[in-house]
Amino acid sequence: MAEIRLHDVVKTYGSMYAVDHVSLTVADGEFVALVGPSGCGKTTTLNLIAGLIEQTAGDIFIGERLVNDLDPKDRDIAMVFQNYALYPNKTVFKNLAFPLKMRKMARADIDVKVRAAAKVLDIEHLLERRPRELSGGQQQRVALGRALVRDPRAFLMDEPLSNLDAKLRGQMRAELKRFHQDLNATVVYVTHDQLEAVTMADRMAVMNGGLLQQYDTPARVFDAPVNTFVAGFVGSPAMNLVPAIVVNQGGSFILRGSAGWNFPLSSRNARKAVAASGPGVILGARHSTIALHRTATPDTMPGRIYTVEPTGDITFAHVRVGEANLVVSVTPDVRLAMDDDVWLGFDQNRLHLFDGVTGGAL
Amino acid sequence: MKSRGSRGWGIVRVAFLAVLTLFTLLPMVWMLLTSLKTQFAASQYPPEWWPKNVTFEQYSLLLSPATETGRDFLRYMFNSVWVSLASTVLGVIVAVPAAYAFSRFRFPGRQLLFYSVLLRNMFPAVVFLMPLFILMRWLHLVNTEFSLILTYLTFGLPLSIWLLKGFYDNIPAQLEQAARMDGATRFQAFFQIVMPLSSPGIIATAIYSFILAWNEYLYALVFLNDKSKLTLPVGLQRFFTEYTTNWPGLMAASFITSVPVVVLFLILQKYFVRALTEGAVKA
Repeated sequence: MAEIRLHDVVKTYGSMYAVDHVSLTVADGEFVALVGPSGCGKTTTLNLIAGLIEQTAGDIFIGERLVNDLDPKDRDIAMVFQNYALYPNKTVFKNLAFPLKMRKMARADIDVKVRAAAKVLDIEHLLERRPRELSGGQQQRVALGRALVRDPRAFLMDEPLSNLDAKLRGQMRAELKRFHQDLNATVVYVTHDQLEAVTMADRMAVMNGGLLQQYDTPARVFDAPVNTFVAGFVGSPAMNLVPAIVVNQGGSFILRGSAGWNFPLSSRNARKAVAASGPGVILGARHSTIALHRTATPDTMPGRIYTVEPTGDITFAHVRVGEANLVVSVTPDVRLAMDDDVWLGFDQNRLHLFDGVTGGAL
Repeated sequence: MKSRGSRGWGIVRVAFLAVLTLFTLLPMVWMLLTSLKTQFAASQYPPEWWPKNVTFEQYSLLLSPATETGRDFLRYMFNSVWVSLASTVLGVIVAVPAAYAFSRFRFPGRQLLFYSVLLRNMFPAVVFLMPLFILMRWLHLVNTEFSLILTYLTFGLPLSIWLLKGFYDNIPAQLEQAARMDGATRFQAFFQIVMPLSSPGIIATAIYSFILAWNEYLYALVFLNDKSKLTLPVGLQRFFTEYTTNWPGLMAASFITSVPVVVLFLILQKYFVRALTEGAVKA
């Protein structure tokens, strides 16, 4: 296995930046998820690493080798595609043997390797079948098998689970994570599903508009998003973001919303708020850090229940505060009805403040 | 109710197909029957529906190199096979990469080029007769088989490219990408993965080109004068003028001419149907 290093990589289509000066290093044996909404440049980045498309500028290293000018076949990395891309006219055995055949491995060795890979993935009984005779999960395994059969230097995976049903996806997620740990494999994994990124990856690279927004461990990305985009993308439900302005009231600072609420800031948060480029800031809070009061309480934000979503062990209340819609979680025993008046209290130590103009964390 | 209704439709369908089959088959059957009669029996009126004395005399005459008629006929047949095969093989060699390029690559003028390829099919063939003749004379190809091979190539290619492009459009690009990741070059990916998947399309376009070339009459008549170079349709026409009274002979020649097309089509028709419907519904 090898390290993968992107240095200031750019890919443009006409005047559009699909990948905009991205630099990141995937350590040897690390599982990195490239995550972002569709069109954010994550798949383009993966294809650049694979060599399926050529970068406009910048360098890509796999191990110590500069691979800018190498064909995909010479980069010695394996890829698992979203639609699996199994060769439909070949049996499972021949699908698995293809990469070895292309490397001119002896027939006897191919047989040993293919059977070993099939055993690992529990698809030995499927070797003589053709891809269309397999279920989605089995096809997924064969695609994985074709990737790991030749000990590549790294694995690239392009939304490999998105064609599976929810139950199978959960199961394969666990298997992929296990597979990564057992093989100590370098994995670059593209997904639009932040849950997959958070649950499997050692580090996640959040992308938007071709730009790398944040590259850190899932815990850090969750706890300290660098801007409102990351805050709103990671976590389910996403972080609540409410615009407000900072007002100096006789030396102490408060946040004031357009709906008329006032919220005094702790001295630590006040220092952050005044660092903003203007009076406008964005208040961010995860659903679990907001306290929901049934009666008027000092230093809270008044709102009205818009709708209630019980999920069994947790209930999400959508609360309207002026123009903003906040999601707050409560225990299922709290009885809430539509149009109830509620008051939202924020935990000073766990709220986030973002610049109202740039969206960057303060 | 439902089964009764569908049974009623079933009868209509069978009846309709039976009439259609009869309509197409009768001339063929009559051709075959006449070719097996003696000359005397063939000219009787009212016609002898079923040949009383079946004779293969005409077939042995046409296919024997010993007689002049036989030599002529075999020569026409050889010319037809050569011209048709050459234009078919060349057609596939040109159509496959062209269709692949239209399907996979984005290049300036792609749409324009693709439609201009199809433009040829919007005009009746006779419109191009004089321009092509002048072109062939300029190329010093008049009265050679190459004039026909080139011409048939331009006739067959538009639909061939169009059909094959549909095939390549339906083969996911990820398959080639996977093959390239697995260690194949672009060419290996094409020959080992894409080509086998598109073989029904290639077979279909090959049959189409072959039949087109095999049946073509007008250009063959105009471009060739030398008797030794004539193709079957034109040669057959010569027989009609030379041996007007020998109906069994003419019918035998006609029958032999139509056999390759029918056989080809029957063997490969499943590919043909698949090629024409491929891409109609996105999978």
